[in-house]
Amino acid sequence: MIDQPLSTTVRPAPASGVLKRVGTALIEPRVLGWIAVAVVLIGWELIVIAFGFNPIYLPRPTRIVVALIEMFRTGGLLRDLLSTLGRVFGGFGIALIFGVAIGIWMATSERFNAIADNFIAALYPLPKVTLIPLLIIWLGTGGPFMLTISALGAVFPIILNTVLGIRQCDPGLVLAARDLGANRHQIIRMVLLPGAVPSIFAGIRLGLGVSIILVVAAEMVVGKLGLGARLYLAGQVLETEQVFAVLIVLASLGIVITKTQDAIDVWLNRWRVA
Amino acid sequence: MAGLAVAIECEGLGLTYTAKTGTAVNALDNVRCRFVPGQVTAIIGPSGCGKSTLLQIARGFMTPTQGRLRYVSLGGTDAPAPAMATVWQAFNLFPWRSVLANVAFGLELAGVPRAEREARARKALAKVELSGFEDKFPRQLSGGMRQRVGIARALVMEPDVLLLDEPFGALDAQTRLVLQEQLAQLVETSGTTAILVTHSIEEAILLADSILVMTARPGRIAAEIAVDLPRPRTHATTHEPAYGALFDRIYGLLRDEVVRAMTTEGADA
Repeated sequence: MIDQPLSTTVRPAPASGVLKRVGTALIEPRVLGWIAVAVVLIGWELIVIAFGFNPIYLPRPTRIVVALIEMFRTGGLLRDLLSTLGRVFGGFGIALIFGVAIGIWMATSERFNAIADNFIAALYPLPKVTLIPLLIIWLGTGGPFMLTISALGAVFPIILNTVLGIRQCDPGLVLAARDLGANRHQIIRMVLLPGAVPSIFAGIRLGLGVSIILVVAAEMVVGKLGLGARLYLAGQVLETEQVFAVLIVLASLGIVITKTQDAIDVWLNRWRVA
Repeated sequence: MAGLAVAIECEGLGLTYTAKTGTAVNALDNVRCRFVPGQVTAIIGPSGCGKSTLLQIARGFMTPTQGRLRYVSLGGTDAPAPAMATVWQAFNLFPWRSVLANVAFGLELAGVPRAEREARARKALAKVELSGFEDKFPRQLSGGMRQRVGIARALVMEPDVLLLDEPFGALDAQTRLVLQEQLAQLVETSGTTAILVTHSIEEAILLADSILVMTARPGRIAAEIAVDLPRPRTHATTHEPAYGALFDRIYGLLRDEVVRAMTTEGADA
């Protein structure tokens, strides 16, 4: 049986094999992964009931789900989610445009590279959360602040990976493009940039992760709107179920983003297949 | 390919450059030669003799430090540079583009509308017997097939002069034999002007009307040899006595230069 996971894709046979097919379906790796999640949740529920934990420390999963639904229905959690998403992707979008543009410029101009290099060397390793106080002094706590902190998180990995991707481009391809009549602009747009796309996408992965961290952290500091604010405020009043509910939303967001990136990665790298 | 009849003339070309170690390297010295329209000229010589450099100068991608390069019309007056397209030893196909999009690349740069450039690219691919592979990516093809894409990509531009920079140098011996024959056929039927840089005496004889034998660095033209073997030339041509005589003559010229290149290579590298 263990060696037959592929057989689940076979069309259903006559009714005699129903149990066997269900058994085979259960050990299919994807299914198994979800079963493991279910087992942990059920175990959690039972342990909390059995030992009678105080829900302030560890609420039951079912109660967390109820709290989650309630927060979406009447607590305006959707608004928090949307504002966090808007800040993350808004800032990230700005970072993508500037990051790729600066990266291309650095990779194609030795002078600009020399100018930008020291600033990036100083700013890139700096933990961006340390900039939150300064940015609040300059920009206040509204939209511009949130977009700036989000963009600052994403822009450096995107710049560095764009530069890397372009520098790794085979000079033979540039020569071939020139031979076929490409001007400088066409070489950048049709050779250097597409060649650097997988590398840029690696930068996007890193950058988007940092954007999410920074936006949620900034929201926790400001404490007005957004998932981070919701998380912080719920913690302040010991609404542990709500804390867990927000964490579930954040984790789900992570899953959706990661899986989407995986799919885009496969598509972008289709020409790399052997 | 029936474009302007423009000859490329090298008048005492020299190229000296400063290596990373700071020493001046004399790559080419007083190169005089003429690439005649409608003819295939092969450049053969030992490694590092400046064959590919000479090709890059003829292409206009490098500027000689001595002498000059002229594009000359039939009447003997200066002409604008003929349209040229190169086939590369390393293929240099764009890996993220499909075979069709690779071949159509030059036309796309020139602003040819999509339908027309794809139709022309398909026709060029049919010429190199790659119909049916339009939607593949280069990595999905064998080396021989990739270079046929490279040849189609150059041919689709309908260049006045086709530049072949060791086109089969990266291929295995059998693939090479077959492609040499196919290219010989393409060149014969199209009557194109071509410059072929090669290490292979056999390749030079099969493809060229005239062979320039170069010396070891600094590269000079040691001899210009006309190849008057009848066409079409195939692998069977290599069994003819005239072929053997030609091969021996070129090898005799090259042998000493190759030995000289081997013994001096380390000195100024």
